[in-house]
Amino acid sequence: MGRKGGKEGSRRLPWLPWVGVGLVALGSLGALLTGSQLWLVVILVLGAACCGVATGQLLAELGKARRERALLDARVVQSHKLAALGELSAGIAHEINNPLAIIGREAELMEHLVGSALAGAQDGPRAELQESLREVSRQVERCKEITRNLLSFARKMEPVFQKVDLNRLVEDMVRLVERETQGKGIQILREYHQGLEPIRTDPPGLRQVVLNLLNNARQATEQGGTITVRTKAVLGGGVEMEVQDTGCGIPREHLARIFDPFFTTKAHGKGTGLGLSICHGIVSRLGGRIGVRSQVGKGSCFTVWLPVEPGSGGNA
Amino acid sequence: MKETSKTRVLLVDDEERFLSTTGRLLGVRGFQVGTAASAPEALEELEQNPYDVVVLDIRMPGMSGIEALAEIKRRRPDVEVLMLTGHASVDAAVEIMRLGGADYLLKPCSMDELVDKIQAALERGKTKKGA
Repeated sequence: MGRKGGKEGSRRLPWLPWVGVGLVALGSLGALLTGSQLWLVVILVLGAACCGVATGQLLAELGKARRERALLDARVVQSHKLAALGELSAGIAHEINNPLAIIGREAELMEHLVGSALAGAQDGPRAELQESLREVSRQVERCKEITRNLLSFARKMEPVFQKVDLNRLVEDMVRLVERETQGKGIQILREYHQGLEPIRTDPPGLRQVVLNLLNNARQATEQGGTITVRTKAVLGGGVEMEVQDTGCGIPREHLARIFDPFFTTKAHGKGTGLGLSICHGIVSRLGGRIGVRSQVGKGSCFTVWLPVEPGSGGNA
Repeated sequence: MKETSKTRVLLVDDEERFLSTTGRLLGVRGFQVGTAASAPEALEELEQNPYDVVVLDIRMPGMSGIEALAEIKRRRPDVEVLMLTGHASVDAAVEIMRLGGADYLLKPCSMDELVDKIQAALERGKTKKGA
C-alpha cells in the first residue's frame, strides 16, 4: 500500500515546477500584451491545464480499472482451475487405480506362480522373491490410499444445500458399514430421534462425514464391541448426530490434534491422517460443529451438530 | 477356506489383462469363472449360463456398470452382484445398494478382499432365499 501511495505522489509532484514556470511566463507576457490579450492567454493556459489534469485522471482511472479487471480475471481463472481440479481428480483417481489394480493382481499371480514353479528351489531366494512381491502389493495398497484421499481433498467444492431427512441419510451409511461389521462380531445400535425436523444441508458432504466416522469407529472397535449411532434434536436449535464406539479410545494428549491434517494415531501406512480433518472441513462448510469425547480403553464419541437451515445458529 | 468349487462367478471388466489374471486367480481358489469384456456381453452370458455372483466394473464404455446392474437385477433377481469401482463415491455406493447390488469394492483390491466379498454376497443371497 505504501508503495502504491508513493508512486501516486511522485506522479503528481512534476506538476508543481510547471506552475512556477507558468507564473514566470505570465509575468513576462504581461509586459508585451494588452489586458484583453493577456486574459485570453490566461484562459487558454488554464483551459489547457484543466484538459491535462482531466486526461491524467482519466488515464489513472483507466489504469485502475485495467488492474481490477486483471485481478477479477485471475480470480475467475483460479475458480475455474479449482473446479477443473475437482473433476480431474476423479478422473485421475480412476485412471491410476485401474493400472494399480492390474499391478496388484499381477504381483499376486507371480507370488502364486513362484510358490508352485520354484517348489524345489532353495528356501532363501524363493522366500525373498515372495516377500518382494508382497511388498509390491503393500505399496499398491498405499497408492490406493493416496488416490482416495487426493480425491476427498480435491472435493472442496461449494456445498449444494437441499432438504434432507438426517435419519435416512445416516441409516444409508450405517447399512454400508454394517456389511463389514457383521462378519467381525461388531454390533451397530441405532438410537434415532423419530420425527426429526428435515435439515437443509449438502447430502454428499454429510454422507462422507458419517461414513468416515463410522469407518473410524469400526476400525477402533474389537470383536464383540458395539457402535451406537444417535440422532437428536437440540433444544437450542439444530440437530445432532453421534457415533459412539467401545473401542480403544484416544489418549488425552492426542485429542487436541485429532482434527489436524496429517495427524494420525494409526500405524505407518495404515492411515493418512486426512479423514477427520476432511470431516472437520466439511462440517464447517455446512455451518456446523464437530467434537469428540474419549476415554482410553472405554471408547470415543464423535458429535456433529448441524443447523436446520445453513447460517441459522444454535446454542449447542 | 470355505467351499468355493460350486460357486460360479461372472467377471465383467473392459480391462482385458485384469479380467484374465483375476479369472485365473479365482480359478486357483476353486471358483468356476466366466468372463465378459462389456455389459451387453455379460447380459448375453447370463442368458446362456447360470451364475451365482457377478463382479461388475462400474466404468465401462457403452452401457455402464450401474445400468447393467439394474438390468441384471431385473432379469435375474437371484444373482448377487458385486460392483468394482476405480474411485470411492459415496453417492454411487448408495445408488448400488438401492438398485439391489450386494456390495462394492474399490480398485485396486486384493484377491483376499474379493473372495471375502464374494462369499459374503453368497451368504447374503442364501439368507434372503431362506427368509
